[in-house]
Amino acid sequence: MNKHRKPERYLEIIPGALSWGIILFMVFLSIRQPIACAVLIIIFDFYWIVRTIYLTTLLFMAYKNLSQQKNRDWLADCQRLSPGKDWQGLYHLIIFPVYKEGLDILRPSLEALKQCCYPKERMVVIVAFEERHAQAKESAEILEAEFKSAFLGYLSTFHPDGIPGEKRTKGANATWAAKQAKELLSSKSISYEDVVVSCFDADTCVDRQYFGCLTYHFLTSPSPHQASYQPIPVYNNNIWYAPSFARLVEISASFCQMIESMRLEKFVTFSSHSMSFKTLVDIDYWPVDMVSDDSVVYWKAFLFYKGNYRVVPLYITVSMDVAYSSNFFKTIVIQYRQKRRWAWGIENFPFLISRFSNNKDISWVTKIRRSFHLLESHITWAVWAIILMLITPLPIFLGGAFFSQMSIGYNLPKITGLLLNFTLGTSLIWIILSRTTLPARPPGVKWIKNVVTIIEWVIVPFIILILGSTPALDAQTRLMLARYMEFSPTEKTRRINKNKQK
Amino acid sequence: MYREQKIRAFLFYLSALVFIIGLPFILSFALGYKFDRRTFKFTKTGLIVLKTQPSGADIYLDKKLLNIKTPATITEVLPGRYQLNLELEKHYPWFNEVDVEAGKVTRLEKVILFPLRPNIKQLNKERLSFFWVDEDKDSIYYIDPEDKNIYKSDLEGGRSEQVSSFIEIAPAAVKWKLSPDREKLLYFNIHQIGITYLQPQNKLSEETPFILNYSDGRIIDVFWHSDSYHIILVSNRGIEVLEARPQAKNLTLVNLNKRNTSCLYDIHTDTLYFLDSQRAADGNFYDNLYKLEVGAKTFPFQELIKLSPNE
Repeated sequence: MNKHRKPERYLEIIPGALSWGIILFMVFLSIRQPIACAVLIIIFDFYWIVRTIYLTTLLFMAYKNLSQQKNRDWLADCQRLSPGKDWQGLYHLIIFPVYKEGLDILRPSLEALKQCCYPKERMVVIVAFEERHAQAKESAEILEAEFKSAFLGYLSTFHPDGIPGEKRTKGANATWAAKQAKELLSSKSISYEDVVVSCFDADTCVDRQYFGCLTYHFLTSPSPHQASYQPIPVYNNNIWYAPSFARLVEISASFCQMIESMRLEKFVTFSSHSMSFKTLVDIDYWPVDMVSDDSVVYWKAFLFYKGNYRVVPLYITVSMDVAYSSNFFKTIVIQYRQKRRWAWGIENFPFLISRFSNNKDISWVTKIRRSFHLLESHITWAVWAIILMLITPLPIFLGGAFFSQMSIGYNLPKITGLLLNFTLGTSLIWIILSRTTLPARPPGVKWIKNVVTIIEWVIVPFIILILGSTPALDAQTRLMLARYMEFSPTEKTRRINKNKQK
Repeated sequence: MYREQKIRAFLFYLSALVFIIGLPFILSFALGYKFDRRTFKFTKTGLIVLKTQPSGADIYLDKKLLNIKTPATITEVLPGRYQLNLELEKHYPWFNEVDVEAGKVTRLEKVILFPLRPNIKQLNKERLSFFWVDEDKDSIYYIDPEDKNIYKSDLEGGRSEQVSSFIEIAPAAVKWKLSPDREKLLYFNIHQIGITYLQPQNKLSEETPFILNYSDGRIIDVFWHSDSYHIILVSNRGIEVLEARPQAKNLTLVNLNKRNTSCLYDIHTDTLYFLDSQRAADGNFYDNLYKLEVGAKTFPFQELIKLSPNE
C-alpha cells in the first residue's frame, strides 16, 4: 500500500474513527443522557438478537449443504458432465506458501494431496519457501524426495528477501511461486485457461474429494474465470488437543465462514481458496505489500472484471490447525495476534474505496453496497461485543439516581437479559453443530473431552470480547494511526498421536 | 443455489420485518408506555416495585386483588394516586397511598409485615433485675437480685449456668454497666459503686467483688473508661475519676454548679458531654453544654484541670 497517498491515508482513519466514535459516544451518552443511551442499547440488542437468529438459520442451511455434499463422488459427477466440459483437460496448480512451518506441518498437507481422489497427473504442486528461512533448503530436499514423483509437477521455490516494492507477506511469496509456476506451465505447454490455482496455508489438509468438487464447480460455472472458489475452512487437524478457548474461537471462525458462504453478495475469499490461473495472471497475482492477500486478491479480480466477479462456495472442508502454544498465556497471545491479522483485512477498505473512485465501469450502487458491507462488517466486529458486554451496564452504573427511578432504568437490565436469553436457543444450535462437525476423538484423548467440548461454550462471552472485538479494534486503531502491520505467520503446534505413530 | 438465495432473501426480509414491528413495542415497554388496543395509542405509564419481608403477600391496588404476590413489579400503571394494600396471613396488613408518575418507578422495597402474634418466649429461669446480651459469645447474662448471683445462658435461654456473684448494695442498684473488655460489671446507687468480675474462677484471686463508697455527694451516673480500669463518676458535686480496685481514691476533674446535671459518655473517644450552669456577663446563671476529653492520649490523668465553682 502506498502510504504516502493522502486520500488513502484519510480512508485508513475512517474505520477506527467510526468504531472508537461509537464506543466513546455510547460512554458519553451513558453519563450525560443515560435514557438515550439505554434506548440505543435496547435497539442494538434487539437488532443483534434478530440478526443472530437470522445468521444461525443461514448457518443451519450451510451445514445442511455441507452434510448433503459430504462423501459425494465429485469425480464421478465430473465424468458425467457434457463432452464440452472436459474435466481431463483441466490442471490444478497448488501453492503452499511456507515460512517457518516444519516438516511436521507440511508433510500431512502434502500427504492429504496425495490421498486425493483426483488424478495426480493433473496436479502441479509448489511448496513456496522463504529464502531467508535457514531450514528451507533442507526441508525442500526432504519433501521433494518424498513427494516429487507423486504429481505431474513438483517445485520448491525460494522467495528472495528484499525485492523492491514488496513486504514480508504471504502474498509476496505466493506471487513469486506463481510466477515460477507460470514458467513451468509454459514449458509443459499448458494453457493458463486450463489451470485452476489453489493457494493453501501450509497446514491445509484438503478433503479427498476437494479437487473433484472444485473441478465440478469450475466446469459448471457460467463464467469460471470470473469466480474464486472458497471451501469451508475447519480447524480439525489438532482440534482435540487445543485448549477450550482456542477451539471455540476456531469453531466460531468456521461457522462464520459457513454463514458467509450463504451471503453470496458479500462473500469474499478467506484463507485457503482457489481461482482461475488465467485470472490470477491477468490481475498480476496476489498483492505483494499487503497482509490480507487472501481477500485483496478477490478485490483485484473484482475490479479487473468491473464488478462481475464472485465467490462460489464449495461445501467441502479444508482442514487446518488450531493456533495454540505450550501454555495458556502464549496461546492467548497467538490467538490474539492471529485474529488481529484477520481483522487487518480492514486495510481492504482504503484499498477498495481508492480504486472505486478511479473506476467508472462499476455502478455506484455496487460501489456503495460493497463498500458499506466491508465497512459495516469490520465496524460491527470491533464494537458489538463491547456494546453488549461493557456498554450495556453503563447507564445503570453511571446514570445515577435519576436513571434508576425511570421506567427504562428499571426495565433495561430485564429487557437486555430477556433478549440475550433468546440467544441461548441459537447458542444451543451452535453447540450441537459444533459437536457434529468435530472429527472423531483420536485414541489417547480422554472421553471427558466430549463433555468439555459442550461445557466450554459458557466461556464464549469472554472469548468474544478478548479474541473478538478487541483484536479488531486494535487492528483498526493501528491502521488509523498508520502503525502498519507486517505479516506474522501464526505459530502452529501439531501434537503427534502416539498411538498413530505406533 | 438460486432457491437457497430466495429462501435467504425471504428470511432477511422476515427478520427486517420482525425488527421493524417488534422494536416499537420493546421500546415503548422499556420507556413505560402501554399500548391501548382499543384506541391504538400508546399511553405513558409508571411502575410500582414491591418487596416485603416476609414475601408472598397479596397485593390489592385500589382494592382490586392482583394476580401476583410480593416481591413483584406492577407494570403499566396509569399515572395517579392509588390505595395499595398488602396482606399476608397471620400478619398485620400494610396499606398506604402511593403516587405513580408517568415513566417513573415507585419503589416500596422496605415493607415489613409484622406478625399478628409476635413469637414471645421467656428466657430467664430465675428472677432477674438486669440482663445484657453478648452477641459475640452468643450469651445472655442475668442478674438475680435475690441470691446475688450472675447467670449465663445461650440466646435461646438454654444451658443456663451461674458464672459469678456480687455484693449487695442498699438501696438497690439503679444501673448495671459492663466494662468494655466484658470482664467486669459495675452497679451503683446514689452512694455506692459495686464491682464484680465475670467468671472469677478463671482470674486471679484478688479479683473478688468489692464496693466503693461515695459519701461526698449523690451519684448521678457512672461510666467505664475504654481501658476497662478507670471509672468516670458524675455526681451532683462534680465529675470524678477513680480506679476500679478496692479502696481506690477518687480524683475530681470538674466541680459542677448544676446539682442535677445530665451527661453522655462516648466510650469510643473517651469524651464526656455534660450540662453545667455558669454565670454569664449579666450576672445570671445559664446552662451550657461542655465536652470533657478523658482519653489517655488527650488527657493524661496526672494533668487535671480543676474548675472552681462558679468559674
